[in-house]
Amino acid sequence: MTEHAMRLSSKYDTETKPVAIGTAVLLVCIVFLLTISGTGVADMLGYARKIDARVPTFLLRMFFLLVALAAAFIIFTNTSTYKRKRVAYAPWMFLSVGLIFFLIYVIIPIFQSISYSLTRWNGLYDINGKWTGEWVGLENYRVLLEDPNFTTSLINNVLWLALFMLAVPIGLFIALFLNQTVAGIRFYKSLFFFPFVISQVVVGLIFSWAYNPEFGLLSEIWGWFFCEQKVNIVGNLTKVCSIDPPSILGEAKYATYAIIAAGLWPQIAYCMILYLTGLNNVSPDQIEAGRLDGAKGWKMLWHVILPQLKPATFIAVVVTVIGSLRSFDMIATMTQGGPFGSTNVLAYYMYDQAVGEGVGRYGYGSAIATVLFVIMLCFISVFLWRMYQDERTER
Amino acid sequence: MFPTPVEKLSPGVNIGYRLILPICLFIWLLPLLAIFMTSIRPVIDINTGNVFGIPSEFNMIENYATVFAKTDAWSYMANTLIITIPTVIISVALACITGYALAIYNFRWALPLFFVFVAGNFVPFQILMLPVIDMSNRLEIFNTVPGLVMFHAAFQTGFCTLFMRNFMKALPFELIESARIEGVDEFRIFWHLVLPLVRPAIAALSVLIFTFIWNDFFWATVMLQDDAKLPITVGVRSLNGEFVQQWHLISAASLLAAVPPVIMFFLAQKHFIAGLTLGATKG
Repeated sequence: MTEHAMRLSSKYDTETKPVAIGTAVLLVCIVFLLTISGTGVADMLGYARKIDARVPTFLLRMFFLLVALAAAFIIFTNTSTYKRKRVAYAPWMFLSVGLIFFLIYVIIPIFQSISYSLTRWNGLYDINGKWTGEWVGLENYRVLLEDPNFTTSLINNVLWLALFMLAVPIGLFIALFLNQTVAGIRFYKSLFFFPFVISQVVVGLIFSWAYNPEFGLLSEIWGWFFCEQKVNIVGNLTKVCSIDPPSILGEAKYATYAIIAAGLWPQIAYCMILYLTGLNNVSPDQIEAGRLDGAKGWKMLWHVILPQLKPATFIAVVVTVIGSLRSFDMIATMTQGGPFGSTNVLAYYMYDQAVGEGVGRYGYGSAIATVLFVIMLCFISVFLWRMYQDERTER
Repeated sequence: MFPTPVEKLSPGVNIGYRLILPICLFIWLLPLLAIFMTSIRPVIDINTGNVFGIPSEFNMIENYATVFAKTDAWSYMANTLIITIPTVIISVALACITGYALAIYNFRWALPLFFVFVAGNFVPFQILMLPVIDMSNRLEIFNTVPGLVMFHAAFQTGFCTLFMRNFMKALPFELIESARIEGVDEFRIFWHLVLPLVRPAIAALSVLIFTFIWNDFFWATVMLQDDAKLPITVGVRSLNGEFVQQWHLISAASLLAAVPPVIMFFLAQKHFIAGLTLGATKG
């Protein structure tokens, strides 16, 4: 063999040294992983109970798992199998950790939940670690159909979905309003975006206060129209109103609308920023061409601008649909589903049934979650389909 | 530019626009301003219904100090940080490698697996809740911070992968191609060539995920039970029960919870917005 050919073939040979070291490290890690126990770590750290050592035990396990993984990768990348077909094996190595992690925590639980929905279970295991539930088939779904709270939740979800969609046109409107170049406009744009950055819990609290009939913002504004300050017998100032301010969150009629209005605030901000970015990218040539053709105002918006904003509109609709179906934080902070279950949505009702006040109804809760998932799946499919179309045209 | 810049319209419109802008902003942020005013008032103003007027006393320092003194605000904040920071690191790091695999290699599974990440990212939380609780229980990490971090990191990996993959797809592929021809190992290409190029994406994602996790309420409620481990969002919620009708304290606490994401947003506005548009409208 010539020297050149030797070098070429040795390029694909398994390198023994790193493989040997890698194997040794891997074995040590496996031994440790098998021997680490909660009690052992608790003893080592001097904790009285095994339960106190949960976190260090877990972290230790994760550490050895990571080292083992790294060792496995080193072994594999030094074998001839890998060296010959790098481009075929490399993507799987890059993907493996993230994909497994995602499958375990996100994809597999979806199917587990669906299977829970066919059982009656309270989430517990007996002392031998055996599952305590029983299979009931479609029983949970039959009960759902007769549950008035479920119907209310479903109707409220539709309401949320429909009214939340207002965020898209309003966001567009504000974006058009702010798409100017006057001094300080950047500052205005970021302040308009502000509500989205704040936690929904805080938005919920702000609006609970705003809707408060005694001390809130709304009671104050109400007072300008219907109340006057009077001095009572003792000499203190009191408010006397011709019509008392309504307790918006306390009345079943208004409560859901009030929460949706609060939820719209950050959502409009989100849609606005999407449209502002979109407007930035509208081609000036086309606007100029439109102007030459005599298009102005609404006509221009409808025929020239909106078609170019299509990607922004699409994302805005997607995030709004998801936002409306995920509404949980606001309801939890503002009404907790009340009064009398009138503000429940599927997301909150599921939580309430599964881990809320009543003793965990895992099966029933899972059935509610499954219904919510199926609704969401319709939208996810449309989204994926659109993405698929885009990917195909790109290639 | 659409609509026509006001500078090009009549002077009346031009001046009118500049005048109306602050008024609109005022109305838009009215709830926030009002809650800020409430947070610096003494109790007496709230009871007499002084919502918009000048506070009879400026109690800003007093009210905020009370929040810190009477509650575990500091510990809630610290808890949020020890949940948020590891999550950001893990999910962004994982997304770099998964995004790289899905964007650079043209294998048959690239698109289907990418769609798995995208779809998983949009599922309702409730369908994951019970199995995740059950699994955390079995791994003995339920009601611990690492347990919550593991879930957050896994879930956010979906969104981060979506973002990273789209970003890397837009890189000039010839660069990677030529490196391969030179015989550079795939890992070296990733580390020395691609990673430096995606720094802006890493920044955008970090800011965004930081805000998402900081503002998370649902998973913290579900996965944590000890008061000593709760993050600020859940803490503030429970203050609502503690300080019944003491709106000056509730509003002060709420605003405190909102400060870090707001700072983050102002520090990295460009990145933040780039992240939110999912790379759909480039720019």
